[in-house]
Amino acid sequence: MDLDTDVPMEDVEEQQLSKSKLSDSKSTSNTTSSTTNNNASGSNPSNLHDDLSLGTINQLDEWIDKLSKCEPLSEADVKRLCDMAIEVLQFEENVQPVHVPVTICGDVHGQFHDLIELFKIGGPCPDTNYLFMGDYVDRGYYSVETVSYLVCMKVRYPNRITILRGNHESRQITQVYGFYDECLRKYGSATVWKLFTDLFDYFPITALVDNKVFCLHGGLSPMIETIDQVRELNRIQEVPHEGPMCDLLWSDPDDRGGWGISPRGAGFTFGQDISEQFNHTNDLSLIARAHQLVMEGFSWSHQESVVTIFSAPNYCYRCGNQAAIMEVDEQHNRQFLQYDPSVRPGEPTVTRKTPDYFL
Amino acid sequence: MLSPQEKKDKVIRSTDIDALSCRSSANRLSYFVPPDSYTDVLIQSYQKYLQYCQGYTGLSSGRTLRQSFGDKKFPLINRGTYFRTRAIDVVIEQFIKEFPQSQIVSLGGGSDTRAYRILNKHQLVNYYEIDFPESVKIKKLAILQSDEIKKIIDFKEKLSVNINNREEFDLMDGNIHTSKYHLIAYDLRDLKDDPTQFNQKLEGFDVNLPTLVLSECVLCYMNPAENTNVLKFWKDFCKEYVSVFIYEPMSLHDAFGTTMAKNLADRGINLLTFNEYSDLQEKSKYLHETCGFQRVRLTDLSEIAGYGIKKNNHKESWVDVQEIYRINHIELIDEVEEIRLLLQHYCLCYAEYSESNKKLVGIDRWNWLESVE
Repeated sequence: MDLDTDVPMEDVEEQQLSKSKLSDSKSTSNTTSSTTNNNASGSNPSNLHDDLSLGTINQLDEWIDKLSKCEPLSEADVKRLCDMAIEVLQFEENVQPVHVPVTICGDVHGQFHDLIELFKIGGPCPDTNYLFMGDYVDRGYYSVETVSYLVCMKVRYPNRITILRGNHESRQITQVYGFYDECLRKYGSATVWKLFTDLFDYFPITALVDNKVFCLHGGLSPMIETIDQVRELNRIQEVPHEGPMCDLLWSDPDDRGGWGISPRGAGFTFGQDISEQFNHTNDLSLIARAHQLVMEGFSWSHQESVVTIFSAPNYCYRCGNQAAIMEVDEQHNRQFLQYDPSVRPGEPTVTRKTPDYFL
Repeated sequence: MLSPQEKKDKVIRSTDIDALSCRSSANRLSYFVPPDSYTDVLIQSYQKYLQYCQGYTGLSSGRTLRQSFGDKKFPLINRGTYFRTRAIDVVIEQFIKEFPQSQIVSLGGGSDTRAYRILNKHQLVNYYEIDFPESVKIKKLAILQSDEIKKIIDFKEKLSVNINNREEFDLMDGNIHTSKYHLIAYDLRDLKDDPTQFNQKLEGFDVNLPTLVLSECVLCYMNPAENTNVLKFWKDFCKEYVSVFIYEPMSLHDAFGTTMAKNLADRGINLLTFNEYSDLQEKSKYLHETCGFQRVRLTDLSEIAGYGIKKNNHKESWVDVQEIYRINHIELIDEVEEIRLLLQHYCLCYAEYSESNKKLVGIDRWNWLESVE
C-alpha cells in the first residue's frame, strides 16, 4: 500500500485506521527487502499496522495514557506489550529504512519528564515522525516508564517512530547503571527487566534516512566498510563485548585520525579520514549518532560529516547540559531544536535523591 | 528542634557518611589494593551510634544509613573515589619519605581510615585527627571495637565504653591521645575566637617538626574568612615547616558547577568557597597572596585520572599505566565526558611554608596544571 506523501500525516493515520477496520482479516505479507524503494512510507512494512485490531488500539491508547502520567504498566501488561513489540521489531531490518521528514533524537536515559518535553518541542507523535538512536534506560529515575512509553508508541505507530538499540539496551550494562535495580524496586522481581532486555535483542541497530543519513547509537567499526555489511549481521542477540555489532553501539568520533582505542573499554574511536571514507563509499551525506554527552545538545565533528545528538538535558540531573533533537525536512534541510530540563510539576525535587558527588 | 545553624551542621557532618559509603563501595569492588580493612568497623559504629547524634532518631538514622549504603554507586563515583584516595596517598608517602619524623594533621577527616594505614606503615609519624565532637565520638567508639586499630595507634588504656542512650553519648569524651595518634574534638570554626584554646588540645604536638595539614572536602564548608583563619593558624603555628594539602570542589563558573551548587543546596549543603575561589588560578592566588604560602601546586582530579589533556610528558604520571589499566577494567565507564566533567571540578592544592628553607623536593615529580614558587 503506497501512500501519497502529500497527504497530511493525521490523515494518513486515519486512512490506515479506517483501512484496518475494513480489512481486519487481511493477511500480512511482510516484505523486508524494499530498501531500494524511496517512496515515503511505502518501503516500511506498514501492513503490520493493519493488523492492529480496534481492541488492540484501545488497549495501547490506554497504556499510553497511563504512561503519559509516568505511571508504570503492570507486569502482565508489560509482558503483553513486549510480545506485541517483538511481532513488530523482528521484521525490521538491521539498517531500518526511514523517510523524511523525521526528527532524530539521541540518548534519553530514563529522564521521562524530559522525554515528554521532547515531544512538546518536536511535536507529538504520530504528527511528527521520530527516530530515536538508543539509550532509553539507565541513569535516570524513570527507565521503566520511558522505555515502556517508547515501546508502546512503536507498537501503536510502527511507521511513525523508529527505535534503535543503544549500548545501554543490554543485559550487562543495565545491571550496572540502574535499569535492573529500578525494575526490582518497582516490580519486586526481575521479570520486567528480563522481558525488556529480551525485547532489546530485536531492536534494529541502525537506520538509513532516505539513503543519505546513516543513524546509529555509537559509531563506525573497523570491520564494517559498507552498509550492506551491517545488513548481514545477526543482530538478534545480547550486545557482544567486541566485534562489529559492539562497535556500532560503542564507538566515538575523535580528533585523532584513523582507529584508536576507546577510553570506554568497548568499541573504537574513529577519525575524520574514516568518516569521510565511509560516507563516500556509501554515498552518504551524514552520520548521525548519539552516545556522547555534548553540552549544547548537539555537536558537529569531522567537518560536518558526523553529528552527535544528545537528548537528555541536565544528564543524570548533574551535568548542566542542554539537550537537542534534529529535524530533517522533505528537502533534507536540517534544523536543531535545543531544550533545557523540564520543570517537573508532578515531581517534587525534595524527594528525589541528590546525585552523588564527592563530599 | 534544631536551630537553622544546627541543621546546617548536621548536614555537613552527614557528608562524612557519603564519603564513607563511597569508600566502602569502591573497597567492595576491589579498587583498593590491599583492601581497606578498617572501613567496616566505622560503618558498624555509625549503625550503632548515629541514632544518638544530634538531629537523629532510631528511625531516621537507620533510614539515612540504608539510603547511603544501600544504593549502588555508579562506576564514575567509585573511580573518582579511588583516584582521590590514591593521589592524596602518593603525596603523603612522598612527604613521609622526605621527612620520616613528621606530623600529619587531618582536618575534619570524619571516618576516614587513612591514619591507620599510614601509622601501620610508618613508625615515626605522629597523626592528629580533628573533627566535630560527635564525629570524633563515632570514630572513638569504632576504634574501641577494633583490636587491630588499637594496636596500630598504640592505644593501651583498658577502656570499655558502654553507650546505650543519647545522654551517655553526650557525656562521652571523644578525645584520644596516645604516643602517636590524637583524636581531637574541636570545631575548627572556633579558631577565630581563641586559638590558644586549640593549642592546648594539641597534646604532644612539636611545632618544630615538619607538619602536613590535610583537608579533604572540609574547608569548602567554611566561609572564606574561616578558611583563612584555619590556614593561617597552621602557617603561624608551625613556622619551621608546614605543608597544606587540600582536596575540594570548585565551580569553574560553568553549567556543571552551577548545577552542582544547586543540587547540593537542595540537600542543605552550601559550598562557601565554591564560587569565591572557582578555579585553579583563583585558588593559587588565594593560597599564595592571601595566605602567604610558597611553592603552590595545583591540579584537578581529571588530570590525575588520565582524562585531562597532558601538558608535560616528562613528568611521572600520578597513577602508573598498569594501575590505570586495572582500574579501568574493574567497571565499564559508559560516558567519558561525564566523568571528565565531574573530576575536573575537584582540585588538589599543595602549598608549603618554611622559615628554614625546608621543602618537599619530590612534589615536582608529578605534573601540576598551576604552580607558583
